[in-house]
Amino acid sequence: MSARDKSSWEQTPGAPAGHFVSGLVYTDPDIYRDESDKIFSNAWRFACHASELPEANDYRVFDHDGQSLVAMRGEDDVIRTFLNVCSHRGAKLLDQPSGNAKHVTCFYHRWTYDNHGQCTGIPRASGYASDGVKKESMGLREVRTDVLHDLVFITLDGATPPLETFIGPALDRFSEMLSGQPLEVFHYNQAVLECNWKAWHETNMDLYHEFMHVVLRQTQVNAMPMEDRKLIVFEGGHGGSGGDLKAAYDGYEGFAGRGDDVPPLAGMSATDFRFINLFPSTAIISRGTVVRIDTVTPIGPDKALLEMRGLGVQGEPDGHRRVRQKHHNQYWGPFGRNVPEDMVAAESCADSFRHQAGRYQIIARDEKMAGQDDAILRAFYAEWGRRLGRDPGAPV
Amino acid sequence: MSDNEAIRMLIAKSCLTLDDGDFSAYLALCAPDYAYRIKAWSPELRNDMIWLEHDRDGLAGLFATLPEHLQRSGRLSRHVSTATIEARENTEAYDVVSSLIVHHTDLDGRTQTLAVGRYKDTVAWVDGAILLSAREVALETRDLGIGLHVPL
Repeated sequence: MSARDKSSWEQTPGAPAGHFVSGLVYTDPDIYRDESDKIFSNAWRFACHASELPEANDYRVFDHDGQSLVAMRGEDDVIRTFLNVCSHRGAKLLDQPSGNAKHVTCFYHRWTYDNHGQCTGIPRASGYASDGVKKESMGLREVRTDVLHDLVFITLDGATPPLETFIGPALDRFSEMLSGQPLEVFHYNQAVLECNWKAWHETNMDLYHEFMHVVLRQTQVNAMPMEDRKLIVFEGGHGGSGGDLKAAYDGYEGFAGRGDDVPPLAGMSATDFRFINLFPSTAIISRGTVVRIDTVTPIGPDKALLEMRGLGVQGEPDGHRRVRQKHHNQYWGPFGRNVPEDMVAAESCADSFRHQAGRYQIIARDEKMAGQDDAILRAFYAEWGRRLGRDPGAPV
Repeated sequence: MSDNEAIRMLIAKSCLTLDDGDFSAYLALCAPDYAYRIKAWSPELRNDMIWLEHDRDGLAGLFATLPEHLQRSGRLSRHVSTATIEARENTEAYDVVSSLIVHHTDLDGRTQTLAVGRYKDTVAWVDGAILLSAREVALETRDLGIGLHVPL
């Protein structure tokens, strides 16, 4: 066999449709706009964990589809979400990422809102007497919000089916872990990545890249027979582990005994590895004693905001928390052994696709829903193609 | 050499040895009970976060595995300016605070600021040598791009 010439390189891979993805899905500006219109403007998206708003009047600001939103817990304990925009002139209402406020007052002209989104004050409102501008009709733009297992989801579209329909049974295997004890976020960091949002999300859907990580080569690849791994995909583009994968932590320097000194999360053992990727851009990953939630938000065709959370048990002893932080940081976070490697991979592929040096991603591994099958990637791109009305292998 | 001069030199050497990837030389600057931690304040969670925490043996293990990891290419340059050195009463230990800037230079020679923060060090005389007893890296920068496998 020999190296390929230009024509051969640019041909579609010799795999069935649905088993490869064109590099254009990562770079084409029209596709990027289409994703905003047909995915991010109407899909349910994880916003934050309820523990980030523990008290009445707490708020949490976040970005979605290029817009700033704010989730607020009312005194009635209901979490509501609004565009973080004043009804008056469009000023951003809250610039701190989190806080506590019974009323939100716009810095610009001092219009005031409560955490039900109602406009409660307009200075010198009499000036609007002749033109019908009244606080009763000047509330904030509310965004649909629902909470499942303390995960706060939002959608910008009032016509999107309910969250339960959107998620389906994809979180069933996580319900005990997420709800069996109250969890709270102890780690949060962001990173702006020089890649398309999907390039990051792929790192969470692609088991085959275990070989890139020395930690996984030494603790996971041989921890159980590949054929005993069970993967599962769901309607709507979600997919993850159908049965728990196992890790043998004594295979890597410094990881031995992981799990001996802190209880595992509900429904897990210390050596379990369980994950689910929720369409379009959230991953929930547990390694027995700790959970990570990733959310990736598009910023541009080749720029994405990654948010990473680590969760432990609410109210646990300090000693347990320190151990869970350690377990989290061993793999994840900005100094983890694995996450920086995933970021290198995502940006490296993006660099190739940016100028079409790379042409296709091959997602054709078929291991009968076991081992390192690419079925989760294929399910994601099937849903992506359905929503955009484009073939991921030939999208333009 | 005065204690203050010795302390400034110790902290500068701790940066240069890490920059050079000379981890055994770095560990030689650390006391046997050395404690290392990277922290950052999260305005999102309104809480401190610990991003890396090791004792001396833990760091030695981390350094030993580095060659096997896929890492950010290029080179880091840690720049410190030591601001305060305060002796602890009735001990031979000092609390030292330094400003920290970390630059990254990629393989094409382009340099960018990667992180800013402070070193909050405890140093002490041990058997005639001044050594690092503890280092807390308090980061202001929380977006570290593709992250790091090495301590700052």
